[in-house]
Amino acid sequence: MSEEESSRGPRADCSFAHASEAEFARILDFYQVDWQYEPITFPILWDLDGNVLESFAPDFYLPDLEIFVELTTLQQRLVRKKNRKVRRLRELYPALRIKLFYARDFRALMVKYGRSALVSELSGTLGQVMPHSEADEYGLPAGPGGLDRSNATDDADPSVPGSNPEQGPGRERRSRAARRRATRKAAAATVYAAAT
Amino acid sequence: MKHSQDLLLDVAETLLTEEQIAAKVAELGKQISDDYAGRELTLVSVLKGSLPFMADLMRRITLPLRIDLMEVSSYGGTATESSGLVRILKDLSAPIDGRDVLIVEDIIDTGLTLNYLIRYLKGKNPRSITVCALLDKPARRLVEIPLDYVGFEIPDAFVVGYGLDFGEVYRNLRFVGVLRPEAYES
Repeated sequence: MSEEESSRGPRADCSFAHASEAEFARILDFYQVDWQYEPITFPILWDLDGNVLESFAPDFYLPDLEIFVELTTLQQRLVRKKNRKVRRLRELYPALRIKLFYARDFRALMVKYGRSALVSELSGTLGQVMPHSEADEYGLPAGPGGLDRSNATDDADPSVPGSNPEQGPGRERRSRAARRRATRKAAAATVYAAAT
Repeated sequence: MKHSQDLLLDVAETLLTEEQIAAKVAELGKQISDDYAGRELTLVSVLKGSLPFMADLMRRITLPLRIDLMEVSSYGGTATESSGLVRILKDLSAPIDGRDVLIVEDIIDTGLTLNYLIRYLKGKNPRSITVCALLDKPARRLVEIPLDYVGFEIPDAFVVGYGLDFGEVYRNLRFVGVLRPEAYES
């Protein structure tokens, strides 16, 4: 391992949508695995005019390992929609490798690293990062580590704002910005699809 | 963590008996002996979990070989607080350049530690690096690394014994068992 590689440190300049994602990034940093957070949004549904109706941005891309990782630490009943999106993604982009990390996988990871006490606050609804004002409004704690979700990409159905049951009350407000980002990234995803 | 004084009480079920492990280790030892005949083999054990496996496996290999030990800090350990980066806590005691290295691991789940270790060891210019793992838990795999020798593929459960621990306990069990959730749930 080169000096340059061994001196790579954790990244502090990234904002995450969920505390479990921040913890996952810390684990990757610890083991010196390079990662990108939501680097690309894949369109997965179009209307007859070719407009993107639905898109999906996997949480992480690990370039050295050429794999996308999607964390799903919410309640199991809310995971169904994400499973459908991942299935659709695999159908449309068969060359793409994606690993879905469920709540149980994340929990097992935390147990393995002796952090089982943090599982509840890093996953599920409590792990969703909200600005302090919204957290106060809904009586929920703000996310740890000073995280904000301004950089988060919404993977909800952009044609139906706020329709995603995973969003919760605080997430509706960013859906418009997320839609703009999804549109911008759609072109990049198309290039990726063409390349693969 | 709340473990019983009688560790057996914390084990929900035996996954691999002492006899099953011994038979598999003998099988792996023979296979490795055949594959590395006439070559310069160094077994590198990763502390602490793989110690029992290493001790048994090396005695089932019939070739002249060297052994070495490494220890790598784990996420969530004390090293996390100080540097935030994985560290080599104990490095090799002898050079491996030009030698065939066989990494001996107790279990591979995410593959993160092994991925780091292989990258590190490649920097020491060995002739080859292969991996022998007693247990493979593919359901948890994040980093796909080819495993050259695998004892058992196991289901997605928290296992202890035969070197595998939870909170430094249970390593001394002579078998591999599934830990009761009450033992690791806070």
